[in-house]
Amino acid sequence: MKEEIQFILDVSERIFAKNIDHKTRLDPEKNHDTLIKEIRESHLTKIAVKEKLGGAGMNLVEIIPLIKLSAFFGVPIPFVETIICNYFFSVFDTKPTDDFISICYEENGVIIKDNRVSGLLKSIPYLNFTNKVMAKVRYNDDDYLIFFENKNSYLKQIHNFLAEPRYDLEVKNENILFKEKFPKEMNFLNILANLKSIQATGAMEKILQLCIDYCSNRKQFGRSLSKFQMIQNHISEISLEIAASGASISVLESSNNIETNRDENFSNDIKTAIAKIRTGMASGKVIALSHQVHGAMGFTKEYDLSYFTKNLNSWRNDFGTEIQWQNSLGNYFLKQNKNLWEFLNH
Amino acid sequence: MSQFNFPFEEETKDLKDLRLRVRNFIKKTFKEDKITPSPDAWVFSTNPSFSKKLGDQGWLGMSFPKKYGGHQKSMLERYIVTEELLVSGAPVAAHWIADRQSGSQIIRYGTEDQKKNIIPKITSGECFFAIGMSEPDSGSDLASVKTFAKKTTNGWKLNGRKIWSTGAHLAHYMIVLARTTKQVDNNRHSGLSQFLVDLSLPGIEINGIEDMTGQKHFNETVFDDVVLDKDSLLGSEGKGWEQVVGELALERSGPERFLSHFVLLDNFLNEFKSKMSEFSTLSLGKIIAELQSLRIMSFSIASMIEKKHSPEIQAAFVKEAGNNFEKKLIEIIREMSNLIPIQTWSPSLKSLFEDATLKIPSNSLRGGTSEIMRGIIAKKLGLR
Repeated sequence: MKEEIQFILDVSERIFAKNIDHKTRLDPEKNHDTLIKEIRESHLTKIAVKEKLGGAGMNLVEIIPLIKLSAFFGVPIPFVETIICNYFFSVFDTKPTDDFISICYEENGVIIKDNRVSGLLKSIPYLNFTNKVMAKVRYNDDDYLIFFENKNSYLKQIHNFLAEPRYDLEVKNENILFKEKFPKEMNFLNILANLKSIQATGAMEKILQLCIDYCSNRKQFGRSLSKFQMIQNHISEISLEIAASGASISVLESSNNIETNRDENFSNDIKTAIAKIRTGMASGKVIALSHQVHGAMGFTKEYDLSYFTKNLNSWRNDFGTEIQWQNSLGNYFLKQNKNLWEFLNH
Repeated sequence: MSQFNFPFEEETKDLKDLRLRVRNFIKKTFKEDKITPSPDAWVFSTNPSFSKKLGDQGWLGMSFPKKYGGHQKSMLERYIVTEELLVSGAPVAAHWIADRQSGSQIIRYGTEDQKKNIIPKITSGECFFAIGMSEPDSGSDLASVKTFAKKTTNGWKLNGRKIWSTGAHLAHYMIVLARTTKQVDNNRHSGLSQFLVDLSLPGIEINGIEDMTGQKHFNETVFDDVVLDKDSLLGSEGKGWEQVVGELALERSGPERFLSHFVLLDNFLNEFKSKMSEFSTLSLGKIIAELQSLRIMSFSIASMIEKKHSPEIQAAFVKEAGNNFEKKLIEIIREMSNLIPIQTWSPSLKSLFEDATLKIPSNSLRGGTSEIMRGIIAKKLGLR
């Protein structure tokens, strides 16, 4: 499988490098045609779909490097979201779609009747890009995973506090194209939170590269910025945070139980908390230090750092801030009758 | 970007079983020998009898070849034993340096005689080492050492001074980094060699230096015309710098860089677990996440070393991040105490806390300062 993921990474990198630049990221609606075409032709969004359904048959642990790579390039379309939706289709032995899909976690008052859905779905990204939505909803004391196409619903553009577009969708009697009870052994929130931790690590690696490039080229006081010890210190600290983040997401690769196989569905609370907390802590530091390295240039919209800064800030908040996860993790420990070392080594 | 990858190493059932065996041994021995845990025990807490018992268990020189009295276990097994010793605050300072780095240097660079004579004594917990790198005028700038070994008909004559040599007063040997040819301006790293010096030889004077806590754990070691035989050279003449860089990776990447004060945290939680405020719970969550990430990094480096890689930048990451974590830990424990005055803590917890608070400034100095670590990282990133 190692060779296979390396091949997929090579293909993906070629597609991303060729089709994505800062202009594409800032104006994805006008510039994404070739990117979409090439992603579709390469079937990258079906990487975590069973082979018998036309996918590459990988599990969520195995695709971590691809998720990270997509964040490194700042892929400006719902690429990761579609991979995960297709993964869920595959879990239920349902053939995945070729379209791009967005995903929704927050909902309010959803009603399912005669295979139709109504209610409020909140804070969905990319609805300017696709009208296909997968959502986990609670109805009649059960959790369902549903998929539908937005045809008649009221779409209201809101923004997250970082001025990134998100959409509230007042769903009106839309036809459900797929509906299954959500598996009890899986945790939707954890899966989405893990994706954000992995993406944040990829974005931080990109920011490091921007810092190194910028301070190597820019001269002040007659010498390259990279020769200033304080700048070197800032960049060393950034890289240290990335290293720790990388380690924290590698915890997702560990077994839930020594007797069983890997946690391939990303549903362990403690591991999710560790990754979300550590990458969240790192995000704050990396943003502050990288802007210090870049000076005023980094604060402009036209420079790449702005895009990755917004991504990091968003992902740090999505699906639980590190503070919320700190609370969860602290309480997991306090509620168990174990000393800390026993808890850390379960 | 591979330097940021810390490939995940699963802790197998065998490793978990080993962990429990070590834990039970420590518990039993602490009780029988009336040992009390202390923070920073790998630097400050010496107990040769405990070291001997670890040797009897086969937990020293674990990765060394069997033909030299080692146990040919993996670096991952050694890592597990090391963690358990650190979190229990066990008195491991006597053998720590020999087991962690000196033995490995001898295995890697030593002659057959050096290996046969010394390694079995290290694995039995009866031979202790000190590090001979820093000098009064060469602290962080290691390449500028002035201690000189002059070639003679029968061997070498050593003159110079080494400083901050932890445990030299108890050690049997010191691996000394010395110049064997004069420094050439354009290559500061050439002309250095490593020597295996028997500290009982005439001409060696070891003077304890009292530290801020009032203890004399580190020393100044003076070499005055010390006669060394030919076999004292460790490795190749003139290759001392390359050899010492590998030694430093072993020194910097281990769990002692972030578990030195775990015993304080553990005792604190045992006493305060039921009194945690919401704010303290948040801090606790942060500590757990940070600590587990560090453990993954360090365990992964043990695996890299096992696979004969040279994780120099990764070791610097662990050293720097680990030191930062421990300094922060002391501050967070202050905050988590939830306004309960220190004077009212149990005497043992209060003592641990005061001890740790005094010792913590040395964390980011020993084994390479923070500034050196950041310099190494910057260099590896191409900024220097």
